[in-house]
Amino acid sequence: MSFKDLIKGVVGAVAAQAAPNDPAELARQDARMAEWTQALRHNSVPKFVSERLRHTAVGRLPWVSTASPADLLTLRTHGIETLGMVSGNCWFHFGYSWTEGHRDGWHTAIARMQHEAALMGAHAIVEVTLKTRESGDADARSSMDYSATGTAVKIAGFPEATAPFVATVSQLEFARLLEAGILPIGLAVGAYYEWMSDPYGWADASQSYFNQELEVLASFQKRVRKSAVDAMRDHARTMRGTGVLGRVQFTEMFREKGNNEEPTQYLCRHIAFGTVIQHRRNQHESLRPRAVLLTRKSKIQSLEASESVI
Amino acid sequence: MDATSTSSDGQLSHQALERLRGLRSEGSHEGIFTSDFSVNEFLMVREAGFEPLGLVVGSCIYHVGVQYTSWSRNQEMTVLSQAMYHARELAMARMEQEASTLHADGIVGVRLEVKRMEWDKDILEFMAIGTAIAHSAGHPMFKGVGGKPFTSDLSGQDLWLLLQSGYRPLEMVMGSCVYHMAHQGVMKSLGNIGRNAEIEVFTQALYDARELAMERMQREAGEAKAEGVVGVQLHEGSHNWQPHVIEFFAVGTAVTPVEDKSVLPEKLIPQIVLPVND
Repeated sequence: MSFKDLIKGVVGAVAAQAAPNDPAELARQDARMAEWTQALRHNSVPKFVSERLRHTAVGRLPWVSTASPADLLTLRTHGIETLGMVSGNCWFHFGYSWTEGHRDGWHTAIARMQHEAALMGAHAIVEVTLKTRESGDADARSSMDYSATGTAVKIAGFPEATAPFVATVSQLEFARLLEAGILPIGLAVGAYYEWMSDPYGWADASQSYFNQELEVLASFQKRVRKSAVDAMRDHARTMRGTGVLGRVQFTEMFREKGNNEEPTQYLCRHIAFGTVIQHRRNQHESLRPRAVLLTRKSKIQSLEASESVI
Repeated sequence: MDATSTSSDGQLSHQALERLRGLRSEGSHEGIFTSDFSVNEFLMVREAGFEPLGLVVGSCIYHVGVQYTSWSRNQEMTVLSQAMYHARELAMARMEQEASTLHADGIVGVRLEVKRMEWDKDILEFMAIGTAIAHSAGHPMFKGVGGKPFTSDLSGQDLWLLLQSGYRPLEMVMGSCVYHMAHQGVMKSLGNIGRNAEIEVFTQALYDARELAMERMQREAGEAKAEGVVGVQLHEGSHNWQPHVIEFFAVGTAVTPVEDKSVLPEKLIPQIVLPVND
């Protein structure tokens, strides 16, 4: 460590340790928190956030983007201008309904992100990632945070939009869809859960010596999955979409072992997401793609590798 | 710009050019570079007009201080925020110093890693690692802020694409915020039983922590006089702290438009291709 580093470290540490107990600092943090409370209750963001976003949109602050350098090429080729990163989250407690809790949590987080993008005058939000966060603590039981983050963009020649489109695809893929006459318009979410009672304990064939499919559990899971996907489809329909792309899904199954009074019960839940698109069926004009052989396969993030990323 | 590598007119010095020539000469000790480039990355770095000089590393083992917070308060853990930022900055600065010694124009593919020491939860190890590169024609434009080598977490391929888009990297910018999320208390928890409702206090904590990390990164980019920040990643981590403490860490590469367009390769017009083995 150089002498400069050492001094910097000591000064930094002293400054940091003095700050937390400073009443002025605590008061400032309280005021900031009060602004958050007011703003979120009115479906808005505090003034310090809206000002930062507006300054970013007009170039007084550097733009911030999840875009890769390849995505930046779309400015030249398709007039897609990066405005800045936007986000929204909602920590939701699901009491009477897990399904509705998930739906409302996601809807609120996405709406907050859209509000941030609208403040920047964006037409769309691309590369949206959705994450959940849980806390093991007792006071956070049966609740979860839903967060959405993406990059707000403006498209040259597009009319002013009130609610920016939301797309999980990258800026480059967004441009590719526009080029093919396909418009990504939003995110569809479908969630469903069901309890199944197994009074005779046959569902898991635990007493059996044979290889066999667990038909009861398989059809139970299939039914839950179908209901969630149907809910996603209905959601897409309300947005006037014609299809859902890049669908990702998440299924969980639990068993609650029975006793003398209660039978064994199974819980299965499923959640499905996708980018809703509008397109004209059976009117495809070929983009004449060139086939290329990649010398190295791109890495695809698996769900297992990052379990909190949905 | 580094006085030892440049002459007064801003061109690379005789020694630096000699050494760069030496990089490609057979049998020269200096001709051997090390890097963690893949084949594609190596080819694209050369296509962008650069030569790799060597793998550069900076590390820092840091003791994180103590901070007590109120159980029921949403509050930034400033001691931890500053520790996480300062330690990363030290690791980065040491890596940059190694690159300066190599008279590099920049460092690409920078990875920032954090590890907790097994014997003490308050000791964290930070490591920054990347490949130092230099412009093969010795063009002085590519240096970063204050004449230091530029730093970027972009890969070699992305460097080429960035130049194609008319931008050059300036420096990796970071924003860190460690935050304590208030506990909501037993009465409030009981009040929520059977209800589907937002827990405002938790929402606000995460919103505020993310906003602070983003604000800080953007401010750093502003200080570097960047036009924008590309490839931003927002990491969430808790580094084995107590369950209500969380870190938001925003990191990206600050970029600025290329002033001297003559050094850029011909404009790239992307074509639609279909990978047949992906």
